[in-house]
Amino acid sequence: MMTKVREVLLLLLLPAFVPHTDGTRYSLPGKPTEIKCRSPEKETFTCWWKPGSDGGLPTTYALYYRKEGSNVVHECPDYHTAGKNSCFFNKNDTVIWVSYNITVVATNALGKTYSDPVDIDVVYIVKPHPPEKLEVTVMKDQGWPFLRVSWEPPRKADTRSGWITLIYELRVKLEEEESEWENHIAGQQKMFNIFSLRSGGTYLIQVRCKPDHGFWSEWSSTSYVKVPEYLHREKSVWILILVFSAFILLILIWLIHMNSHSLKHCMLPPVPGPKIKGFDKQLLKSGKSDEVFSALVVSDFPPTTSNYEDLLVEYLEVYVPEQQELMVDEGKDHDGCLKSIGSASDSDSGRGSCDSDNLLMDKSGAAKEEQQQQNQEGDQIGTETQGPKEAWEKETMLCANEDVVSPSTSSKKVKTWPSVFSPVTPYSPSPLDPHNSLEMHKQNFLSDTQFPPGSPSSDHCIKKALQSSYWEVCFNNNQPYPQTDVHQQLQAHSDRNISAINDGNAPRNLLLPTRMTEYVEVQRVNEENKVLLHPIPSGHTREEACSWVGHGDNYSKVKGVNSDNVLLLQREVVEEESMEMAGAAESCYTSSIAINTPKPTTCSHIALPVQEERVLAVSGYVDTATMFSLDT
Amino acid sequence: MAQRRTSGTNLFMTVLCVVAMCRAVPINELLERASQHSDKLHSLSTTLTQELDSHFPPIGRVIMPRPAMCHTSSLQTPIDKDQALQVSESDLMSLARSLLQAWSDPLVLLSSSASALPHPAQSTIFNKIQEMQQYSKSLKDGLDVLSSKMGSSAQAITSLPYRGGTSLGQDKITKLINFNFLLSCLRRDSHKIDSFLKVLRCRAAKMQPEMC
Repeated sequence: MMTKVREVLLLLLLPAFVPHTDGTRYSLPGKPTEIKCRSPEKETFTCWWKPGSDGGLPTTYALYYRKEGSNVVHECPDYHTAGKNSCFFNKNDTVIWVSYNITVVATNALGKTYSDPVDIDVVYIVKPHPPEKLEVTVMKDQGWPFLRVSWEPPRKADTRSGWITLIYELRVKLEEEESEWENHIAGQQKMFNIFSLRSGGTYLIQVRCKPDHGFWSEWSSTSYVKVPEYLHREKSVWILILVFSAFILLILIWLIHMNSHSLKHCMLPPVPGPKIKGFDKQLLKSGKSDEVFSALVVSDFPPTTSNYEDLLVEYLEVYVPEQQELMVDEGKDHDGCLKSIGSASDSDSGRGSCDSDNLLMDKSGAAKEEQQQQNQEGDQIGTETQGPKEAWEKETMLCANEDVVSPSTSSKKVKTWPSVFSPVTPYSPSPLDPHNSLEMHKQNFLSDTQFPPGSPSSDHCIKKALQSSYWEVCFNNNQPYPQTDVHQQLQAHSDRNISAINDGNAPRNLLLPTRMTEYVEVQRVNEENKVLLHPIPSGHTREEACSWVGHGDNYSKVKGVNSDNVLLLQREVVEEESMEMAGAAESCYTSSIAINTPKPTTCSHIALPVQEERVLAVSGYVDTATMFSLDT
Repeated sequence: MAQRRTSGTNLFMTVLCVVAMCRAVPINELLERASQHSDKLHSLSTTLTQELDSHFPPIGRVIMPRPAMCHTSSLQTPIDKDQALQVSESDLMSLARSLLQAWSDPLVLLSSSASALPHPAQSTIFNKIQEMQQYSKSLKDGLDVLSSKMGSSAQAITSLPYRGGTSLGQDKITKLINFNFLLSCLRRDSHKIDSFLKVLRCRAAKMQPEMC
């Protein structure tokens, strides 16, 4: 009974003996966490843990480990070398390629708490010490400084034997605010160069290392280095100025080069040459002012004639010959009739200073080339308008028929000489030199037409001679000329006419009537089988009509037809100023044309006149160039 | 005519190549290349292990077999640095070659298993396994050349056959666990190969002490 009471009393009083602190409860120690082990050189390693709460009681920690393949539990051999809450495994206790199972136990008065076990393999947890002996020196490379950084591997890491392979990295920063680190991987080398330094700046440098399979070390201690001043302020400013000015200079040069042409025009404007219609520089030089100025007189201005059509067509001085429609007859039943259309264009504009002398020669040469070109072209029916160069070569219409056998291919060419003579052309028989006349001839334009070789023989045109007394009459049986009632039409090759015209008879040519679209009417055929032609009066006086007849070499006379069916024209030198021709128009156009046979014949190629057997250009029409050369 | 010319140039080229190849590549160069290969091999295996661990069931770690169960564990390798540095070059080479040879078949198994691995990063894992196979093959060829220059003892290979069968398991967990286990073994062995070759490299690089 008494014992029972004592036990109850003891039980009741027991709590009083226990020391009582406010708010503390003793408990087991907290679990150690975050066990981290690291090996600096793959020969030793250290483990650290983070202790939990101690539960209010003094707690001790112990680390136990077990190697793989063995169940023997060992305790940490060294708790102190590595500091608090650590365990250091020295060389003897460290094996590699063997897995450690490590557990940390916290013990206090109340009990033990075990941490989670951790498996580690030493080779996977290598974290070396930072590199040592970091040295930075400023070196010069031809006056430009650079930094040479060198270091040593951490003391303990055995890189010499290849046990550890270390990779290094360094970082550089300027000693100023807001500057960032610049990292460089140095590989396995222990030295590094840094270029492009700021003059007079101070740099901070650090280096760290890492094994081939492991963790980066900590950054080494910082090294400071000051770069000397190597780039002077003044020099840099001068360099900048130089560069800028060179740049601007280049731009200026380039601009000038681009605008060189317009600049040239600005500074040295071209001198325009005089360009007056009918004005002859040569004449002026020669001093005969009267003649010069008389040339300027325009008798026909304002134009009184009603033939405005001509005006429209022929208004040229220094024109590009117009394309003039050459109407063979009103009835347009001539296929393949040659039509030359004049186009007025002033190709001589702005070239007043051009040498008129040379122009003629040039043009003649050009015309020759053109003709040859055209010869090469295919057989096409077309009307080509020769350029102005042509114009003043030809004065007569040429009707070429491909059927005409001729050594030259001129047969293919038809050159029309529309009434190009402008009405402003002075009729005064002022003796102008050949040059001037030639210039007048310039007014005439020529159009070339090529007949297709295969065109039937009936496709001939009748050309009326223009200013010259030449005309061309084509043989054409099938198409009787309604107006002229001509049974047969003769074709005259009047290539040579040009030569005659231009040959020193230039002035006369000036007097040729303006109406180049004269039609020659076959009046009748006399008993001698001569075709008498007379101009169709179309508003012009007979005198005028005849006025042009007598000028120049008159190839209007057909001497005869040779055995080859070639019409031979006779050259008649007619005096100028023979305005008063015989009233009879027949005399103007007397021509002896031998009529071969009523049957249709092809147009004959007119051979050279007998009188003056001049061999002209093979090309079939006369080049003024050759003509001059021949004449002079 | 053109054919003759091409064949002639071919002949010339082959002669040139033979002459060039006959010029012996120095051993340290070969070791440098070999160690680069082994380094890459180990890096790949480390990456693979981390990939697999990202989605590994925790229970697997408990059940995972011990590393001592690797099929190459029977091969005696140095356990610390002093031991390792005392091994002769020929032995080191022989160890490396043996380990490498031991993994040629398991790599095939790993590759076939990776094609159908129940893991979110399956395609990455599969690609890396393929890469490892390539590196392993080229390293094997290189080591064959090296060992022929180092003597007969370097060419001895210890046979370490893999006896794990042709499948990693039936269910998903088992597959993953076995896959992980194999990878861990591979990681360690590749590290061994790498270490041995790097030790050999430094021993041969007497002309370039700064590298080691």
